[in-house]
Amino acid sequence: MMDQIAEQISLIGQRIPKPDGAAKVLGRTQYINDMVLHRMLIGKILRTDRVHARILRLDISKAAALPGVHAVITGDDTPMIGIGVNKDNPPLKSGTVRCIRDEIAAVAAETEAIADQALALIEVEYEDLPAVFDPAEALEDSAPQLHEDKPGNVGLSYNISYGDIAAGEAESDVVLDETYDLHYVTHCCMGPGCVLAEFDAMGKLTIYSQTQYPYNFKMDLAPTLGIHPGDIRVIQPPVGGAFGSKLDVYPFEPICAFLAQKTRRPVKLVFSREEEFIASPTRQPVRAHIRAGAKKDGTLTFRDVNCLLNNGGYTSWGATVPYVMMRTFSGHFRVPNVEFKSTAVYTNNPFAGSFRGYGNVQATYVTATLMDKMAEAVGMNPIAFRLKNAQEPGEVTPQGSLLKDCALADCITIAAEKTDFLKIYAANAKVETGRYRRGIGIATSLHNAGGAKIHKSDGCGTILTMDDYARVTLITGASEIGQGIDAVITQIVAEELGVPMASITIVNDDSAIGPWDVGVHASRTTFIAGNGARRAAIKAKAQILAAASKEANVPAEEMELRGGHVVQSDNGVSIIRLDRLLRAMHFAGEDAELVMVTDYYEPPSEPEGDNHYGDMSAAYAHAAYVAEVEVDTMTGHVRVEKMTVVQDVGRVVNGLGIEGQIEGGIAMSIGYGLTEDLRIEKGIVKNPSFRDYKVATAPEMPEIAYHFIENDTPEGPFGAKGIAELPAIVPAPAIANAVYNAIGVRFDNPPITPEKVARALHGGQDGGDQ
Amino acid sequence: MSSELEISFILNGQARSLIVAPSAVALSVLRDDFDLTAAKKACGEGECGACTIIVDGASVCSCILYAADLDGRNVQTVEGLDAGDTLDPVQAAFIETGAVQCGYCTPGMVMQIKHLLAENPDPDEAAIRRGLEGNICRCTGYSKIIDAVKSAAITMRAG
Amino acid sequence: MPWLKFMAATRSRSGFNMNEIANYIAVDTIEEAAETLAAGPVTVLAGGTDLMLQTEAGTRSYAATLMNIRRVAELRGVGLEDGSLTIGALTTVSDLLADPIIGAHCPILAETADQFASPQIRNMASIGGNICNASPAGDLLVPLIALGAEVALVSKADGALHSRRMPVEEFVIGPGASKLGDTEILTFVHIPSQDGAAGAFRKFGPRPALEIAIAAVAVTGRIEDGKFAHMRVAFGAVAPTPVRGRAVEAALEDKPATDETINAALAATDADISPIDDVRASAWYRRHLIRTLTQEILADVFRA
Repeated sequence: MMDQIAEQISLIGQRIPKPDGAAKVLGRTQYINDMVLHRMLIGKILRTDRVHARILRLDISKAAALPGVHAVITGDDTPMIGIGVNKDNPPLKSGTVRCIRDEIAAVAAETEAIADQALALIEVEYEDLPAVFDPAEALEDSAPQLHEDKPGNVGLSYNISYGDIAAGEAESDVVLDETYDLHYVTHCCMGPGCVLAEFDAMGKLTIYSQTQYPYNFKMDLAPTLGIHPGDIRVIQPPVGGAFGSKLDVYPFEPICAFLAQKTRRPVKLVFSREEEFIASPTRQPVRAHIRAGAKKDGTLTFRDVNCLLNNGGYTSWGATVPYVMMRTFSGHFRVPNVEFKSTAVYTNNPFAGSFRGYGNVQATYVTATLMDKMAEAVGMNPIAFRLKNAQEPGEVTPQGSLLKDCALADCITIAAEKTDFLKIYAANAKVETGRYRRGIGIATSLHNAGGAKIHKSDGCGTILTMDDYARVTLITGASEIGQGIDAVITQIVAEELGVPMASITIVNDDSAIGPWDVGVHASRTTFIAGNGARRAAIKAKAQILAAASKEANVPAEEMELRGGHVVQSDNGVSIIRLDRLLRAMHFAGEDAELVMVTDYYEPPSEPEGDNHYGDMSAAYAHAAYVAEVEVDTMTGHVRVEKMTVVQDVGRVVNGLGIEGQIEGGIAMSIGYGLTEDLRIEKGIVKNPSFRDYKVATAPEMPEIAYHFIENDTPEGPFGAKGIAELPAIVPAPAIANAVYNAIGVRFDNPPITPEKVARALHGGQDGGDQ
Repeated sequence: MSSELEISFILNGQARSLIVAPSAVALSVLRDDFDLTAAKKACGEGECGACTIIVDGASVCSCILYAADLDGRNVQTVEGLDAGDTLDPVQAAFIETGAVQCGYCTPGMVMQIKHLLAENPDPDEAAIRRGLEGNICRCTGYSKIIDAVKSAAITMRAG
Repeated sequence: MPWLKFMAATRSRSGFNMNEIANYIAVDTIEEAAETLAAGPVTVLAGGTDLMLQTEAGTRSYAATLMNIRRVAELRGVGLEDGSLTIGALTTVSDLLADPIIGAHCPILAETADQFASPQIRNMASIGGNICNASPAGDLLVPLIALGAEVALVSKADGALHSRRMPVEEFVIGPGASKLGDTEILTFVHIPSQDGAAGAFRKFGPRPALEIAIAAVAVTGRIEDGKFAHMRVAFGAVAPTPVRGRAVEAALEDKPATDETINAALAATDADISPIDDVRASAWYRRHLIRTLTQEILADVFRA
């Protein structure tokens, strides 16, 4: 009599610790920052101290002569081939510097101390040039021109137009005209920027990189280095946070490679925290002018949006955030007539990159506070007004997003019920005395949750192999950046193959091994890589069951994999132990086979066509967050007491992971809304330290309550949607709306710092004393 | 011109000696000379706690600690908790509660929590949060780390 | 652990190149410290938290001799005599927070310690270091001025130890500047008996601690026969040094403990302070906070 294998509890929805957790808590994990290679040198970058200047003289001779220095390079030694979205940023600048972070020279030395000394010995003379820091001023005819081939300082522009704005306005009973100034914030990854480059004897580059997009990284890095992308191998040791900051090639990476090339030794380059604040990308600052209308009954009539983006000196992904912003302005709530125009304008400020939430952080701050303003203007409460304009499942947004399982109305309704919103909202608004006032506010948003087809492919490759002991190696193109795709994929594969999670090894840290993936961004990895892993596992299962069928003479469809066995589906009786079957398959003479399957999952989405129309994601998700705050009307301090999360997640795959993403996102968004402000004055970063750039700490975190909407989106792995950006998007405007509920003041210029609140309530003038 | 000094101290239970520069930073000495890379340099100015170690029972930021000040003292890093077979209760709780994401702040967090629970074996929520105020985490939003402290405290009191 | 000295030491792989320090001396007694100071330019290392930051940032350079005083055992701890406190310069901020004598006789110092930086920094930073660093935003200086604390400064000349005492209020003279002589060491902080006086410290920041103060207030004194009496007030982060609030004291002293008196005191704050605009706060906001925090203490602590 064979063993009966008990039915396994599904792993989907369980709370699964990250497989790399043990190494991390033990301190064994080696980040690039910790790595040492034989004969490794330390690289350092000399940055300019000017915001716009011509380099008259750059003398490296004393630095080059310093004992222990192996290379000193400048823009004269390296090609002026730009990196970044507009290819406008040569790694080492020659001739002109355009912002305070500009790299003008680099050294490789035997120790960090020698490298520092060498930098101090480099002599530079400049002729300062007129500079411009405000995007509106940079558009004026008289403004200094930053790039010869960018007349008028105009960078990227995005425009869409649907319906008829004039007609929408004509039928409006209320029209609001608002301007928002959305500020600089930065990622603050705990692991400072770091790269290690080494060329082999054949001239091929191995780069140990923190990148979130290893495959296209090769394509973007190769031209400036003058080598073939195929001659670059990207190795991704564990990374100390990314959050979108590592989705482009930034100058320090090719600079490190140049140093390695020149010295023929491995070179490691690590940022100081100050460098991290000054010379890593920021979130894109946006000045948004919006006109919007509604009828008396609450029906939205039009949105007319004009955005000016401060591009800074060069162009990374920051300039492309309108791509996401316009999906929110046009598609979040039913808006019949929409125009959106944006221009990114070169200035002598540092520049922005991608950052978790992308443009949706900015667009949602505007739309979610504007919805409240509009509700008040038409005399409706914030819940009823939103429900009036919420789309139904199956509706298509003006840009072509099919909201097939739209849960917007559910999110709003549940959030209102869970928090007793309307009652508390009305009660708070009545309180007009007392030092401490309470407020409640809601915000909602829409985000892609099934990938985002912004490249020709939004796919992910997967290779699954099984050894003679039924151990699984799952090679995926998707990177682990701390977010927990390792746990999710392990769960999915274990679920499909009926093997213990401990028998699965994930390999995703080497571009020479892994198949292509577009990168960790756009809340796509659970959805895309999860689907890829699942499909690979299903293929492996089919191969295994076919072999078992031959071996045991039982139809494949009457068997399944469970507990490391092939079992009969109806009674769970073991037919053969999986490892024995795999060995039988392997050592079968002429019929020998290994379980070794591949998959390339391309989601059923389409790239945008004309007028930015296209169903660019395989799923979309909504969320409603309710913030409850207490405002100290004397000091102006806003304390977030509670955040209630209602989010359409499709299906929870990993309870620990999903909560971790949401909690971390809330912390970031509290920072965006209340405390984080990278102060850039006349091109200079004024607060490049954790002392003066305030990220949330443990005592500042609110109580968090969850409600997940799980409707099993058809295309998602086990029904799951991507979830990780909405938590970084929605809380800040919910807090802003709650502050309004508490004290009746709107802040269209986050962060809502204590001083801003105090000024609003106590009348202090800007810059004035008293 | 430059002077040097010899420091001798107990490092994770073992007696160690080293000649250092007077201005040497404890964190650099741990990382570069003893290959103990768990403590991280994340800010270099005592503002983030990623470099936290325990010296004579007190948690300190090793990035602003003079190596000279290690002389004669008992120094513990996360590596010293690595006992092989069993995980320290704080470390086990970190894994189970999902308190680890990128992991860069984790060793410093673990050491600070070891200190916190040594001083106060039964901290309430507010004491836990205050105990973590010098440790920045950018991934987790702290909730799961607070859960880990509560869980570890229970285990340690029972054990 | 003297036996450790028998071990063979290896040489550190890094950190030698930037070194400009010619001599390193770790002293065991106040006298040794004073002798070392008398012999030439010395940088004193206590908790080291500020010194490391300032030297790494290049805002301060080392003297030829770096003298580590951490092992001077007599400099750490809190003593009580006739209600007066003597606090050794090496007493850490954590010590102040936990010390039962401080808790019983000078709770305002424990209250301040609780709002000081982070647990790790509290474990490292010393009271003497915080005073000598003379930061305009130095947390401990504010209650020490309100308490009428004095520092003891010791030097050695002509074969003898010399000690002088000076109010903290006079000791700090500008950002990073004090009246500490080149050959002097700050040994003790003396706090006169408070004799049952109330006191409170408030510093503004959204976090419970881990904030550089943008405004801080300490007040000591009592209510006698319904009037404010023996009032001492100090403000932090609103002038080149933490300052005594003499105008506010005058507005309070011997006046009835009423809203009217408090309002007059709040109006007087502007005369005591000279805040600036910087990246952390505007002068306007600092003035506003000083009034707010002062009001909070006077109303909540003294009239509660």
